[in-house]
Amino acid sequence: MKKGKWKFLSLLIVLGLLLSACSSGTSGKKSEGQEGQGSEPELVDPSSFPKTVVNEETEIDGGSLTYALVSDTAFEGILDYAFYESSPDAEVISFFAEPIFAYDANYQITNDGESAAKFEMSEDGKTMTVTIQDGVTWHDGEPLKAEDYAFSFEIIGHPDYTGVRYGDALISGIVGMEDYHNGKADTISGIKILNDKQLTITWEEANPSLLSGIWSYAEPKHHFEGIEIGDLASSDKIHTDLLGFGPFKVTNIVPGESVEYEAYENYYGGAPKLDSVVLKVVSPTTIGEAIKKGDVDIASFPTDQYDKDYVPTNFQYLADMDAAYTYIGFKLGHWDAEAGVAVQDKDTPLQDVKLRQAIGYAMDNKSVAERFYQGLRVPATTLMIPFFADFHNPDIEGYSYNTEKANQLLDEAGYKDVDGDGYREDLEGNEMVFNFASMSGGETAEPLANFYIQNWKDVGIHVQLLEGRLHEMNSFYDRVEGDDEAVDIYQGAWGTGTDPDPYGLWSKLAPYNYPRFVNDKNEELLAAGHSEDAFDQEFRKDIYDQWQQLMVDEAPVIPTLYRYYLMAVNNRVKNYSIEAGSELGWEDVAVTAEKAFVEE
Amino acid sequence: MLKFIIRRFLVMIPQLALLSILIFLLAKAMPGDALTGSMQANPNLDPKVFEELREKLGLNDPWYEQYGRWIGNLFQGELGMSYIHKVDIADLLGDRMANTFWLGLVTLIFTYLIAVPLGVVAGRWNESWADKLIVGYNYVSFAIPLFVFALIMLFIFGFGLHWFPIGGSVDVTVEKGTFAYFLSRIHHLLLPAITAALLSTVGTIQYLRNEIIDTKLKDFVKTARAKGTPEKKVYSRHIFRNSLLPVAAFLGYDIVFIIGGSVFIEQIFSYPGLGQLFISSINQRDFSVVNILVMLFGFLSILGTLISDIILSIVDPRIRID
Repeated sequence: MKKGKWKFLSLLIVLGLLLSACSSGTSGKKSEGQEGQGSEPELVDPSSFPKTVVNEETEIDGGSLTYALVSDTAFEGILDYAFYESSPDAEVISFFAEPIFAYDANYQITNDGESAAKFEMSEDGKTMTVTIQDGVTWHDGEPLKAEDYAFSFEIIGHPDYTGVRYGDALISGIVGMEDYHNGKADTISGIKILNDKQLTITWEEANPSLLSGIWSYAEPKHHFEGIEIGDLASSDKIHTDLLGFGPFKVTNIVPGESVEYEAYENYYGGAPKLDSVVLKVVSPTTIGEAIKKGDVDIASFPTDQYDKDYVPTNFQYLADMDAAYTYIGFKLGHWDAEAGVAVQDKDTPLQDVKLRQAIGYAMDNKSVAERFYQGLRVPATTLMIPFFADFHNPDIEGYSYNTEKANQLLDEAGYKDVDGDGYREDLEGNEMVFNFASMSGGETAEPLANFYIQNWKDVGIHVQLLEGRLHEMNSFYDRVEGDDEAVDIYQGAWGTGTDPDPYGLWSKLAPYNYPRFVNDKNEELLAAGHSEDAFDQEFRKDIYDQWQQLMVDEAPVIPTLYRYYLMAVNNRVKNYSIEAGSELGWEDVAVTAEKAFVEE
Repeated sequence: MLKFIIRRFLVMIPQLALLSILIFLLAKAMPGDALTGSMQANPNLDPKVFEELREKLGLNDPWYEQYGRWIGNLFQGELGMSYIHKVDIADLLGDRMANTFWLGLVTLIFTYLIAVPLGVVAGRWNESWADKLIVGYNYVSFAIPLFVFALIMLFIFGFGLHWFPIGGSVDVTVEKGTFAYFLSRIHHLLLPAITAALLSTVGTIQYLRNEIIDTKLKDFVKTARAKGTPEKKVYSRHIFRNSLLPVAAFLGYDIVFIIGGSVFIEQIFSYPGLGQLFISSINQRDFSVVNILVMLFGFLSILGTLISDIILSIVDPRIRID
């Protein structure tokens, strides 16, 4: 009898092992099979996913919802817009605090729709008058005041401020901000509080990015009373004793792992439909299971775990384009720190535009998107991502996979395989090998890098991994930023934020211009893109069209992939949306069943 | 004995001083710092700001100045600030250490609860079917990687049977300080603790089993048997006590294990403890936290050895020095 039990237990364990081995094995096998047959894999069109949950049921009164913060570490717990640095913290904040303005579909602030404040721009585009709406109160009942908004600028500009927000041109460009930041003035002369509900902000220069880039968060001044700004970052007031004016208030917090929110009945946009929300950290390794079992209602779903053959029964996917792109960059020069300018002076064959273009045409990004990311990433065309629908130019084709063209370009430019080893030599007939730096992280990082290297080999360009391996994030940036001579080609990525202006990334005056690309036309267009003329949308569009074409022609970098992100949402959730400019906020989210649905 | 302990403590001082210099230099030698990579998601930030911040945080000073400042503060009992979490490291460690301590303690209790009886049974009746089963279990538990086993356990008991929560250290909706809070903590602890315990019994079982088998054949056991001591007493008085020696020696190291935490367990069960903090601090180059943690682990390792030695000298007078 006892023996039988033991056998059963060991059987269970073995079975468990087999099962887990199977589930991780199948996906790999499948893609191999498909490659073998040479057939096109069935594609997921990420744009076909909805952006708002589809739920026709009637909502129940109140209810509680569990939101998963998908992360393999605890959240850091700097829960204030002026200080937080990681995106998990931002997710935690978004429930209890929010911007004072409403945003439209183009990520610009708008006076349409519900918001805590309305604004008005002056004729010259330099001064904004902000009016706080009546009835907006902090969770402790105190009304939101103009001085609260002004205070957020006073925090960020303060000489003792230890966060990273100050550098933004729309903050440091406020009249008098520099003096305040250097300790020469006690107040910011460009911010004038007219009365309890109104203030004006004046900038040195008009900036067309103002509407998308303005700092739009207020800080509860009365809550922070008596605390020096230098001590604010380490104060309880932004870690555990939190105050906002969002739809939910924090009632309980277990540092690093979970937060309990309760509806704030006096929310200016109407009392939230849910009674409470529980947010908890869930590891990416288990989130798929947690969603299936209904342990969490809403979670950001890791795209590398997405399985297009699995049809969810108890939840649905939402997807939207991420404000980010991946690119391949060519190191062409170095950064002159003293003069603060990039110098394109590296002695490398990559200075030849045709060679760079050929490298671009040789990359099969379509296959990368389909095979490595199941279609949740799409081949990129220009450096202005489709996320900025107003400025992305869909007519520019960019670098699509075309080995013929790549070969042709290389032949024309005179790169020939002299010694017959399958690789082309440079113009003098010397061996030509490039070092490729790429970041480690995730299972696909290495096969992906090797895939590109194979692509380049196919057209006879010899590329090898820098030092034969991938590099961890810190050392990668150390070397790419530091213009390490050994790096010739690198794979990088940028999050763009919601401001379309690419000046800060690709101007010769921008330290983030890692290729150290210098081009007069580029400077001219980038400067025009945020000049006063650019307030005219048509003008700005035209400038950015030209710029996108220029960057394709000059190819200092080759954009490779645009990204989608996925949210998994339980079928009982209603009115949840990830669409930009959606009217639906956390206060509108409701549930249509007491308990979350479980996989059938 | 007292002299021995005092001497060991005195030796600790240069050991720790050396350790502190070493880790400080190694930490500084790692590429990047706490601010590296933070611009990736937000290129609107002026790089000048990062320079300004590095200056403010003292990251640009030569290493000996930074080291002097750090060690000076340490002597005044100030652990410093975390660059990433922006809080006093003492506060940061406080929560995490409590979590890890309880998880480690419960794990340790379960480990001994499982390992000691199994080791005794396997040793006493070696070559029996029970022994073979136990040794078999030992092979399996030694062979399964912790992260695989933890996922299986979580899958069965967390997601499948819903007996245990799937992560965290406590239910956030329960009010702090109540009995329900205490129960909730235990409830969250059990599954990770049992999981870790099931896989960490190998050493204890194996040592205990071997020792018992060895001791069984020793002369004093034969003498005891010859005197007519009942078999039960032979085992409990003579064999068991002598066989526990190596197990007792482990106890000191287990204290390090308790505080050190398990990265895998903490990661998979989303349990915020020191192990998890350590790894994320290294990845984020949160030097101040990494340094303090290494110092802490170093101190505990030395302390652990000391405790082991003391225990050994208590149970075995032969190795008593002085």
